[in-house]
Amino acid sequence: MTTEQKQDPEFIQFRYPRDVTYHHALGYQSKFANGLKQGRILATKCPVDGRCTIPPRIVCPMHHVRQTEWVDQGQRGRLISAFKINFPMFNSRTGELQTWENPIIAVELEGGARMDGWCMETDTSKLKTGMLLEAVWRPEEERQGRADDIMYWKPIEE
Amino acid sequence: MAERIAIVGVGQTHHKSKRPDVTTAEMCAEAVERCLEDAQMSMKDIDNIIMGSFEVADGYYSPDKWIIPELGAVGKSGLEMQNVGTTGGVVAATGFNIAATGLFDAVLCLAWQKMDEAAGAFGRGGGGTNEYWTGQFPMSPITNFARRAYAYMDRSGCTEEHFAMVRVKQDQCAMKNEYAQLKLGLTLEQVMNDALLAWPIRRLHMCPTTAGAAACIVCPEEKAKKVTNKPVWVEDWFTCHQGGSLTMAEDPTSSTLAYASHLVYKRNGITNPPKDIQAWEVYEPASPAELRWIEEVGLCEDYTAWKLFEQNKVGIDKEIPFNPSGGVTATNPIGATPVVRLVEAVLQVRGDAGEHQIPGTINRALATGYGGQGENVIMLLRKTL
Amino acid sequence: MTQNLPEIPDTLVNVDVIGYSNFLVNTGATGTKFLKEIRDNKKIMGIKCPSCGKVYVPPRLHCPTCFARMSEWVKLSGKGSLTSYTVVRYEEPYLPKQPPFAYGIIQMDSADTGMAHFLGEVDLDKIKIGMRLEPVFKEEREGSILDIDYFKPSS
Ligand SMILES: [Zn+2]
Ligand SMILES: [Zn+2]
Repeated sequence: MTTEQKQDPEFIQFRYPRDVTYHHALGYQSKFANGLKQGRILATKCPVDGRCTIPPRIVCPMHHVRQTEWVDQGQRGRLISAFKINFPMFNSRTGELQTWENPIIAVELEGGARMDGWCMETDTSKLKTGMLLEAVWRPEEERQGRADDIMYWKPIEE
Repeated sequence: MAERIAIVGVGQTHHKSKRPDVTTAEMCAEAVERCLEDAQMSMKDIDNIIMGSFEVADGYYSPDKWIIPELGAVGKSGLEMQNVGTTGGVVAATGFNIAATGLFDAVLCLAWQKMDEAAGAFGRGGGGTNEYWTGQFPMSPITNFARRAYAYMDRSGCTEEHFAMVRVKQDQCAMKNEYAQLKLGLTLEQVMNDALLAWPIRRLHMCPTTAGAAACIVCPEEKAKKVTNKPVWVEDWFTCHQGGSLTMAEDPTSSTLAYASHLVYKRNGITNPPKDIQAWEVYEPASPAELRWIEEVGLCEDYTAWKLFEQNKVGIDKEIPFNPSGGVTATNPIGATPVVRLVEAVLQVRGDAGEHQIPGTINRALATGYGGQGENVIMLLRKTL
Repeated sequence: MTQNLPEIPDTLVNVDVIGYSNFLVNTGATGTKFLKEIRDNKKIMGIKCPSCGKVYVPPRLHCPTCFARMSEWVKLSGKGSLTSYTVVRYEEPYLPKQPPFAYGIIQMDSADTGMAHFLGEVDLDKIKIGMRLEPVFKEEREGSILDIDYFKPSS
């Protein structure tokens, strides 16, 4: 990572670069990560209103009840929103500045849950909310149990 | 039974992009000196201090260890807290709660941020509030508001030109505020041709990085009346959480602002917000968000606020006096930003806002704090009890 | 589509998350003057409260008890007495020196506060509270508190 050493001529300043590694437990949400490795998108379902949510949660955020049922959300969904990053941003995995060609989108899955993803179509003018999309997965051996195991969402004809 | 409470003094620094001349603690002391002077009080009169910043963008752990001695406030009761962009809002709301107990005479609420020191902490600090869920894609306030803006255009039928109209209005207000950071004299063309950060968000649409601090002093009724002849009463306040990813929301343009503000209206008998409230300082981290916020606080129908800008109805001396300070796109010391809103609302109620004073009597003002992906803090002020 | 999905394991997953940061620290006008005196003149300066008269080193802008702005600088001899110390014998990332090393709090002469710094030119087993100390400055100085290399026993 970069360690800029720009000094103000008048005032003394210094920098202190630090890298800190945390080990986060996914807990109940582990099943979601395990599902991705098998090419499946799983969500928890609320027993009160039947709503499926990603991130999955052990307790429904609205009704405060345990969510024991997991539902396969299918491989298709509809576009909710999209944006494209037109400037270099820090990649939180590497700490380096990076640029991205593909838009980031929010998808409402067939099972009703919503999640973020990359869009295969790079021309934002061709994106319309409500358009149908299908998951394109990384090869099984490359999957890490993370949302970007879905390489892209590909627009498909209805 | 809770005490009625009032704000008896406010203070803020002149907000700037860089403050190499002061440490974080010294910058805080500057705002507190001005606040005490405004209240005509000394540090001896303060018996509780609630303070906070967005710690991830600070680079200090336990900043109170540095700031409390710099304030000459060692040994006083208090709390240090943080909640991203709403930090100043929860600082103020907690100060209100504590003052309302009547256990303390004068509660100092202090919030700050020195973003010239933060060095991309947003992108680097795990990419979001929870790396596994929000850090897998390059997310930031910019991208968060880009997707809101895209969905808003899609639903409302407004164009990028309307976003530019909002930005120009914000700048016109900031030009009149001596404490504001960005005073640019913008034209519509400049905004529309500005560099794209994440379509449809341009650089000028987005709040800047700011070094600044803001403070207020809150007293229970009896003390407030002794201290000042122009107390500003805190009628009500409410803090509202929103969980998880934005994609959980039914409407990607919305936040908890509609829910939280209408809850406060209901319990204070406010039935016609545009008439019952005369000054608005609503935390808008990006110009396009101001359109949706105007709708969410009940100033017009959903997805129509852009028409108000087309009709030139929003401004300090216009039908809708929204963000007379110039707002967050002009000044954003992030953790302090909600207190900057509160300070402006207090000045408006007192009639002390100078060049950016809204004409006429301000009986009620509404200030908010926004943070994360939709948390809101509502602060409702009144001129008289 | 509703199933209990027994074929998807419940095996617990942990993820490594790396936080990168590169904060800038401003020492401000007061801190800058203190550090420049060390860098340019090998002098340790204190600052005096106009209200209670206490002398603080390192300096700060406001007195912690009076909230008075301080601007009267006091030149210190640099000598002082050890009020407390420890010897660091463990290793972890970002330690400023290779262990074992000693650091302590030094009550500076003509000041009312102690200052933390390293102890050097001393047998780690023979450090005593109350011992007299004086600063040893680095040859190459850059405007940092580490321009003082360490404090050594003084005769
Ligand atoms: Zn539920
Ligand atoms: Zn003093």
